Amino acid sequence: MKKFFSIFMGIIAVTGIIFAGQITITGSTTVFPIAQKAAEVFMNANPEINISLRGGGSGVGIAALINGQADIANASRPMKTKEMKLARENGINVVENVVARDGLAIAVNPSNNIDKITMEQMKGIYTGEINNWSELGGESMPIVVISRDYSSGTFEVFKKLVLEGAKVSDNALLLASNKAVQTTVADTPGAIGYIGIGYLDETVKALKLNGVFPSIETVNNETYKLARPLFMYTNGQPSGDLGQFMEFIFSQQGQTIVEEVGYIPLN
Amino acid sequence: MKKVLLLLTLAIVLLSAVSMHGMETKFKMELWNRYTADIVDRTIEESQFALKRGYFRLEPEFTDNIKGRFNLDFFSDEDGLDGAGLKLKYAYLDFNKLLPIPESKVTFGLMKNYFGTIYTWDYTTIDKDPSDKYKVISSTDYGLGYYALIPGGFGEYSLQMSNGEGYKKTGGDVDINPAFIGNLRVIPIPGITVGGSVYYTQKGLLNSDELLTAGDTTVMAAAGLAKISFGPLSLIGEYLMKNIDSDGAYAYMGMGSFSMGKISGFDMDIVARYDKSDPDKDTADDGSQMILGGINYYILRASKNSPAVWLQANYSRTMYEDATIDDVDEIALQLRWVFSHTIN
Repeated sequence: MKKFFSIFMGIIAVTGIIFAGQITITGSTTVFPIAQKAAEVFMNANPEINISLRGGGSGVGIAALINGQADIANASRPMKTKEMKLARENGINVVENVVARDGLAIAVNPSNNIDKITMEQMKGIYTGEINNWSELGGESMPIVVISRDYSSGTFEVFKKLVLEGAKVSDNALLLASNKAVQTTVADTPGAIGYIGIGYLDETVKALKLNGVFPSIETVNNETYKLARPLFMYTNGQPSGDLGQFMEFIFSQQGQTIVEEVGYIPLN
Repeated sequence: MKKVLLLLTLAIVLLSAVSMHGMETKFKMELWNRYTADIVDRTIEESQFALKRGYFRLEPEFTDNIKGRFNLDFFSDEDGLDGAGLKLKYAYLDFNKLLPIPESKVTFGLMKNYFGTIYTWDYTTIDKDPSDKYKVISSTDYGLGYYALIPGGFGEYSLQMSNGEGYKKTGGDVDINPAFIGNLRVIPIPGITVGGSVYYTQKGLLNSDELLTAGDTTVMAAAGLAKISFGPLSLIGEYLMKNIDSDGAYAYMGMGSFSMGKISGFDMDIVARYDKSDPDKDTADDGSQMILGGINYYILRASKNSPAVWLQANYSRTMYEDATIDDVDEIALQLRWVFSHTIN
């Protein structure tokens, strides 16, 4: 028994040495730009630490953390109780780190003459009750509904806040990332989609939602209602290389990166 | 004719699911191709290839709060239609938020029995869950259940009322008296899970005339389990007991315990298991022990967290207390493959 224990501890020690200096981050495509930019800057300053980064969506990232395949799970939604239970069962002590805030912008093609929309109208569009822009006072043009896929945390937040649990219409086009939604809306005259405000640029037009334009100011003063915190979940309080990286994210420099990539810093 | 009806039913269910507006339906198929060789005194006594189990599953999601599961199991090594046995394994609906308790659901239909390890058994070893293997309780039953998560991920609990006779008995064979199951699992600290379950049924509860003819008036079963998971290592132990009480005295008492370990890494699990069973405490030499070792090798994954094709290889030795029964070595190889798709 002693021998078995020694061998087992030896395996763990060797594994620890092999993977020292390696951080794996997986999950939300919304949080991805923050993690990507922060990783670049952090690795430049700490060349002995390698950070590998993947998207996949919040659900994928959380599953990877639960299965011990990721050190950080990026998520644009809070972990569900079911996921917390699975994590605890697997020996994962989930620590929730809020790293930034975000507003979900409603984006349309710049050629669209609509400038504002209500939550109720959004629900109508995404459940298939409103199908033409003329029903909202725009040109007679079919609405092309763009949504995020079901493993996306952005989708879950949108479903909870806008759809209030209702199903997305069968006609909606489901895309795997914020970037894909942004480019599809930019290329499709009748399209409507929702993206993190960090993805807003001149190729798409953001609509006022219930009379409020999505911006850092309106999210911070809570007048823009389609807002959420962004998370990096870790197994236990981060320490070592991981602790250094998380400290960097929370530092002035890290929070400046948050702002640079279009999200809202914590302070 | 039966076969035609079955295929027709399946087609209707599938097509209905696909065509229902606004409904998301997941379908899944899993198959277990198995080879087993039982060896006694270094001689192969039995050798068999079989589709040990195959199942076809539909999971319609009517709304966020109403979901269903329908499961048909196939077995090539049991009697049935044209070489394959068929069993209805699940047919239930989950109703979330029916009660004003967070993270809870009410289930109705042919559903899982939340007892011991049986409802989370994922066949890490080829062998069955101990409750199933030692006939303590069936894996599914017709009934009504309440299930809830403890906030913060600290565990789960459930209460069920069912027929108490599993999914194989139907029609007039079903005892009219209900059975009750209570289950609790707690995760006090990450990596450590403890839990217990109780099953109880009593003949004559609804009709006292039954007592005159029923041989066994009360059945009570209990399970206690502990699980430890840290990194690639997980260990689980379960203690089971079952009392069948006639005329207030224990006529039968069954006990079993098992422990199982798993070390995962490099797309492979190394597994080990130990079972000890004593079906009747009042009978000498009716017990057995089993040791098992094996590997699970993941050949192909649908995604990082979902294996698609994997090979299981187990060697086990079953040793009987009764000296007149030979110990049996068994080699089992199983190729499991699964595919699924969600229709929106």
